[in-house]
Amino acid sequence: MDNLREIARDGLNELLKAGAGKAACSLTLIDKQELNVDLGEPSLLRTIFDASVNLVAIKDQKKGSTAVNRTDRSALRQAAADVLAIATAAAPDEAHDIAEAQPPAEFSSGGSRPDLDKMYSRMKELLREVGARYPRVVIRQAILDFTRTKKYFLNSNGVDFVTSKGIYRCLVFFCSREGERISSFNITGFSLKDLEQELLDCGSLDTLLRQSTEQITTHPLQGKFTGEVIITPDCLEDLIGFLTGAISDGPFISGTSIYRDKLNRQVAAPLFSLHSRPLDNEICDGYFVTADGYAARNSTIVEKGVLKSFLLSLYGSRKTGRPRAANDGGAYVVDPGETDFSDMVRSVEKGILLARFSGGEPSENGDFAGVAKNSYLIEGGEIKYPLSESMISGNFAELLMNITAVSRERINFGNAILPWISASGVTVSGK
Amino acid sequence: MRTLNLHDYKGLFTAYTELRVQENRSVNITFVKGNNTLNLRSSTGGISARVCRNGSWGFASHPGISEENVKTVIRAATDNALFLDSKEQKEKDPLPAVPASSENDFSTSRPRLSQKDLVEFIRELDDHIASSYPQLAGRTLSLRCLDMEKRLLTSDGSYSHSMIPRSFIYIQLSVIKNGSPVELFDVYGGLGQFEDQFSAPGDLFEEVARQYHHLIKKSEGVFADAGLKTCVLDADLAGILAHEAIGHTVEADIVMSGSVAGDKIGREVASPLITMIDFANSYQGETCPVPVYVDDEGTAAKDAVLIKEGVLKSFLHNKESANHYRVAPAGNARAYAYSDEPLIRMRNTVILPGTSTLEAMIASVDDGYYLIRPGNGQADSTSEFMFGIVLGYEIKKGKIGRAIKDTTISGVAFDVLKTVSMVSGEMSWMSGGMCGKKQPIPVGMGGPAIKCQLNVGGR
Repeated sequence: MDNLREIARDGLNELLKAGAGKAACSLTLIDKQELNVDLGEPSLLRTIFDASVNLVAIKDQKKGSTAVNRTDRSALRQAAADVLAIATAAAPDEAHDIAEAQPPAEFSSGGSRPDLDKMYSRMKELLREVGARYPRVVIRQAILDFTRTKKYFLNSNGVDFVTSKGIYRCLVFFCSREGERISSFNITGFSLKDLEQELLDCGSLDTLLRQSTEQITTHPLQGKFTGEVIITPDCLEDLIGFLTGAISDGPFISGTSIYRDKLNRQVAAPLFSLHSRPLDNEICDGYFVTADGYAARNSTIVEKGVLKSFLLSLYGSRKTGRPRAANDGGAYVVDPGETDFSDMVRSVEKGILLARFSGGEPSENGDFAGVAKNSYLIEGGEIKYPLSESMISGNFAELLMNITAVSRERINFGNAILPWISASGVTVSGK
Repeated sequence: MRTLNLHDYKGLFTAYTELRVQENRSVNITFVKGNNTLNLRSSTGGISARVCRNGSWGFASHPGISEENVKTVIRAATDNALFLDSKEQKEKDPLPAVPASSENDFSTSRPRLSQKDLVEFIRELDDHIASSYPQLAGRTLSLRCLDMEKRLLTSDGSYSHSMIPRSFIYIQLSVIKNGSPVELFDVYGGLGQFEDQFSAPGDLFEEVARQYHHLIKKSEGVFADAGLKTCVLDADLAGILAHEAIGHTVEADIVMSGSVAGDKIGREVASPLITMIDFANSYQGETCPVPVYVDDEGTAAKDAVLIKEGVLKSFLHNKESANHYRVAPAGNARAYAYSDEPLIRMRNTVILPGTSTLEAMIASVDDGYYLIRPGNGQADSTSEFMFGIVLGYEIKKGKIGRAIKDTTISGVAFDVLKTVSMVSGEMSWMSGGMCGKKQPIPVGMGGPAIKCQLNVGGR
């Protein structure tokens, strides 16, 4: 470990020797074992070792950065010289800076080595169970990996952090088939600190596999209506992604964020509270240090519908004069509501259960349009049938304000904990 | 790129083996509303080996290019293949050997520009936009250059070296209309290093003026009317139709998992006006945007005719799927980074031009849409595809009408292609995006303007 810390220290020293006024160096080492399943059979086992050195130099308020994946001293010296040349080429900007001094710290989570035999047996168990419970499901691809990441972050203000993390991640990509009829594909994933639990019992996998079988037979929607949408936990990331993207650096620096004047104002229905909790005990796939080199803290982004914080980096904060975020976002946790999922469905006169959104990027103002995939028509308080060739459109910002219920039940994906959310005012159209 | 003589290590191969040294070098310079927010140059390289034993695969990679690491990755990949083989015992047939050798280097012969020159280029373009269009609320300019250099040796006798660069300038412009942002994004550039793609900022002024004109029209635009509509897709959109609607549907790994294309070889799947080809490296004597001469399994790359005059002719293969279907692979196995294994990927997927004119196609539509610029897209196993539309106009009684706001169009590929009633004689290429499938990969796509029926998202 000392040797690796020295490599990072060398990188920082090379930057200062090359003339940087302020400098930062991070060294990341990744060791990954990855078991791949294709077409229902284990097909490929991968061993990946990677290293990444990121160097940042600021000189005369001009900033340059480079990333290389060689860690020998001559490579670092060359990279340091390159990054100074890159910085010299930049336009000066008073907002460039590095993290201020913080107490040195080491952070750690998860195991240090994969249990390869367990990975294999858990994957075989999943394939067996899926074959038994859902014989029409085709596992197109499944990936189970263990990734060990060790990261050293140092800067010229005295920041000195070491983080290490070991995590299992699983991704399953599937569809269902009966004769010539086939369902839409679906995909889900989750992170695990160990392999104590059967994979089929993790995240939303079992539910989605069952639904996939149902989705072999679909019906296109005729005509169009405006109604209620129940967004599943797998699909909720799209809505959260719109909000968190709009409160990040880019839209704030360009001045086009629709939330630029909304701090401490209502941006969602009072039922909705959103947090970013990279250090939460229930989030096994969080993080400890931000990209800028600050020790990450948990934060609340929306509390009872009121926007409580932006997601601005150090640069974004200095550029816009607004507070720097406590973290880099992600690890999203939405508070549970007080409505059972079954009651949410019962309250919908006409709408859809939206399980996957396949659409163009939403506009900066929140307008979206796309195909409702793996989704169901709800009528008279009942889930009727899976839909095909059905599109939905609306506005994400309005959708947040129109939230009518949040489910009591939530799914823990390891990197997020999310409920079902019901909202009104979505246009659903078919042929 | 640091490298080794890969042939020196052939003696370490004990089964089917691919040994690859690769470096991806990139430049990313971004200006947001005049602020130089990103000024980055990076390189990621290393060595990898992939080994197949009786149908079970092992892979290993290491960032250090050294004799010791070559031995390490070959041994680790072999051990991984042995581990799986010992448990799976698939006893599959040997992979087809298609030995090939090639040397293709698209490095510029012009003097290389420094990072300072590149920053100045983008700043000058940004200054021009800021001074010429003061009504803009926001502007983001990004220069992204990627050089992918690979050396590959396979146990069945292939060796290749390639250096395939691409350079793009991405420009997003926005205005505030009625208190709400409206943006329009466009991409300029293509195959080659920066010096071969761009000579002076002024060369882009006309294109930016056109982009701004469309943005103003879009800011006054209306929501599309949702439902099944007659659409004229501009030539700039045909490529994404080819890629999303058909290309993914005929990738053999997707077919083997149950894609609707599985039993359609030799059957009519499109209008006779449609011929679609995945070109390996050249079209009508010109180099395609993403030329592939030998793929990352060492297969000599050939064109793959997917649809000929409406009839489905073939799928896209790697060696393993070609073995399964008892056909010859055509060089579609490609990996993005040194630490990635090759996957079945498209290369330069196009719908061939027809004989109509864009003007005649628009004039023939009584009530529909002329769709010009795509956003992101996605395909499905059912062959239902979608892609975002960031620029389009109404067509009313044969004339271009109001612009429309961002929307998404969708359809079932083979159904949509059967509704094609006119195909224009022009050909337009796009290559600014990346295709995502476990790994990203640069792809080329192209085609003519097409008149067909599509579902349009709207209000």
